[in-house]
Amino acid sequence: MSTYTDKIREIAQRLLKECRVEMVIGFRQGSMPMMNEPCFVRKPEEVDRLVWDSNCGINLANYLTNRKEKIGIVAKGCDSRNIVTHILENKVKREQLVIIGVPCQGMIDKRKIAASIQGEILAVSETGGQIKVKSAGGEKSFNKNEVLQQNCSVCVHRNPVIHDEMVAAPVAEQTDVDQYADVNAIEAMSTEERWEFFEKLLAPCIRCYACRNACPLCYCPTCFVDESKPQWVGKSQDPMDVRTFHFLRAFHCAGRCTDCGACERACPVGINMRLLTKKLNKDCLELYGWQAGLNLDSRPALDVYKANDPEDFIH
Amino acid sequence: MKVIKIDKSQWSQTLEKIRGAYRLFGPVKEKTFHNFTELSDGQSPDLAFQNTRLSPKSLVFPQSEVMLNYSLDEADADHHVPKEAPKDYSPRAVIGIRPCDAKALALVKMNFDTDQYKDPYWLNLYNATTFVGLACDAPCGTCFCTTAGCGPFSEEGLDVLLVDQNDHYVAKALTDKGTQLLQKTGSKETTAAAIETAKIAAEAKITAKIETDNLRGADMMALYKAGLWEDISFACLNCGTCTFSCPTCWCFDIQDEVYRKKGVRMRNWDSCMFPIFSVHTTGHNPRDSKLSRVRQRFMHKLKYFVDKYDKGIMCVGCGRCVRQCPVNIDIRKVSALMNQLGSEARCAVKGS
Amino acid sequence: MKNLLVTMGIDPDRLHFSWISSAESTKFVKVVNEITAKVKAIGPNQRFVKKEAKVA
Repeated sequence: MSTYTDKIREIAQRLLKECRVEMVIGFRQGSMPMMNEPCFVRKPEEVDRLVWDSNCGINLANYLTNRKEKIGIVAKGCDSRNIVTHILENKVKREQLVIIGVPCQGMIDKRKIAASIQGEILAVSETGGQIKVKSAGGEKSFNKNEVLQQNCSVCVHRNPVIHDEMVAAPVAEQTDVDQYADVNAIEAMSTEERWEFFEKLLAPCIRCYACRNACPLCYCPTCFVDESKPQWVGKSQDPMDVRTFHFLRAFHCAGRCTDCGACERACPVGINMRLLTKKLNKDCLELYGWQAGLNLDSRPALDVYKANDPEDFIH
Repeated sequence: MKVIKIDKSQWSQTLEKIRGAYRLFGPVKEKTFHNFTELSDGQSPDLAFQNTRLSPKSLVFPQSEVMLNYSLDEADADHHVPKEAPKDYSPRAVIGIRPCDAKALALVKMNFDTDQYKDPYWLNLYNATTFVGLACDAPCGTCFCTTAGCGPFSEEGLDVLLVDQNDHYVAKALTDKGTQLLQKTGSKETTAAAIETAKIAAEAKITAKIETDNLRGADMMALYKAGLWEDISFACLNCGTCTFSCPTCWCFDIQDEVYRKKGVRMRNWDSCMFPIFSVHTTGHNPRDSKLSRVRQRFMHKLKYFVDKYDKGIMCVGCGRCVRQCPVNIDIRKVSALMNQLGSEARCAVKGS
Repeated sequence: MKNLLVTMGIDPDRLHFSWISSAESTKFVKVVNEITAKVKAIGPNQRFVKKEAKVA
């Protein structure tokens, strides 16, 4: 991983020195174990603050929305797919960007690690595929693959789909993963069970909107939950309003979501709201053969009509 | 004031004696986190926790709270007249609140209980509640209470301080409310000697710090206009995690909801991080950028509040925002930057 | 949309899509009768219904 960091710094420094970009967006070392902070660098002598490790799960495409500068941006597979979506949706121009591609081997899930550790986590280090965790209760090692974010463990687009620079050779893509096992499990439930399942899933929600705000797709100038004329959704902790928010937000991401996992990662109360967007991703794949953000040449599923679009739902 | 000793073997019986006169609230483990909730009959609070995920401020300041009810049915004699929503303000006791969260209540009280304005909803719940604090002897690495005008054994805002002494608790009454609660227990009196030793040991465990010494004297406009805000605010998502988890954030928004002919006026927590927080009815938004919102949050906590009340910062060092921020914006780092600038700004004023 | 509603626990018989031309009056009657019968059979919907805010 440290070679990734070195290479990112080298590329960033070159881009800034040659004035090819005005800023480089990447990550800097966080103040907590397993946390890095998205940051920008404007001066070649400041590139040393950029880092890369398995704690860069926030989607940096989120920081491009409506920016006008020439930007160098560090992008793993999912970030690059959201950059494509941003370009297709006119949120940033391709010519503005120098994309520094990072072949990704997944981001670690700090909640998974915290759940299997006694006491507070004091430090976490990473060598090869091993994650070493120092906690109040002693030291423990994990195989990185066992503590990946769930979306990373079933990811089939680890390499950037679009890039101008690459920090390393592409990594092997996963092929033997069951991408939609969790969605299938919900589909197998009865109507009653599904209602109960989401009731429980969303109960801890505090409506901080971290999921929405961490999502590169959620860039509406005024979100429907913030709209007051008309007011679409109540603003209280009423469970139906909470559910309506999650349901409609997910639907606004239909055919656009890359399952980057930023929403779930950002949630302070650990809700897996990805189950909703994943259901839509699965439908898009099965009905239209569509996966979001793979290239700049095809229009999104909800943007095109084809004569052979499935219409079984129409009676 | 009264100090008693409660053997842990007698703990649940003692709670039952208190329960006779109070509704009990306390920390309960939900999956991997603790949160405060009402304790059902026979349920004991789970006191084996560092701190709860959300602060207990919701016990006196619920995230959504109905204030008034009204009828829009013209057949009703008192239609269109808002009525105080019925509430249960019978005595309550919160068992196991941490000293930092109790100190936060004292800070919030400065806002909800002034000579000019008294917030009836907050005050009614606050006055009905006896706060039994649990001294902190295993603070988190991210706790910085000792430099935030607080501490693991801080007594401000508490009615009783409970100190864990392995096989028993020492409970020290700090107010009349606290004495009344301890009288219900019938436990035998002891001395407060053990508390002092435990306090020194706990304070020594807190190594994280927040730097604030130059903030009071700093030039407000110099801080406001400083160049550091772009770097601080860049990563911010403008979500409400920090403000909602913060025990000292008190902002709320009032909403009316009507269902057929019945209406309620309620208030919900609001957050200065939200873009619509400051939108005027004209559509103008004086804080329409992420930078201005992030700056507002930190300036309010670390400068405006300091200047207005001269009672230190509006932060008790519980560390929740540091632990929960999805993008790792750390108030300790921000305060250090502001503090450093504060020192420069003050020197510049002196020099000129 | 129907798929996501169904996933969240809404009865699939509550939401119907149909393509009916303005000239197809008999089809319109048939479809409306079918839908009414199905919805009556499962009874009034209780989900995604807010009678009043459930808050403190």
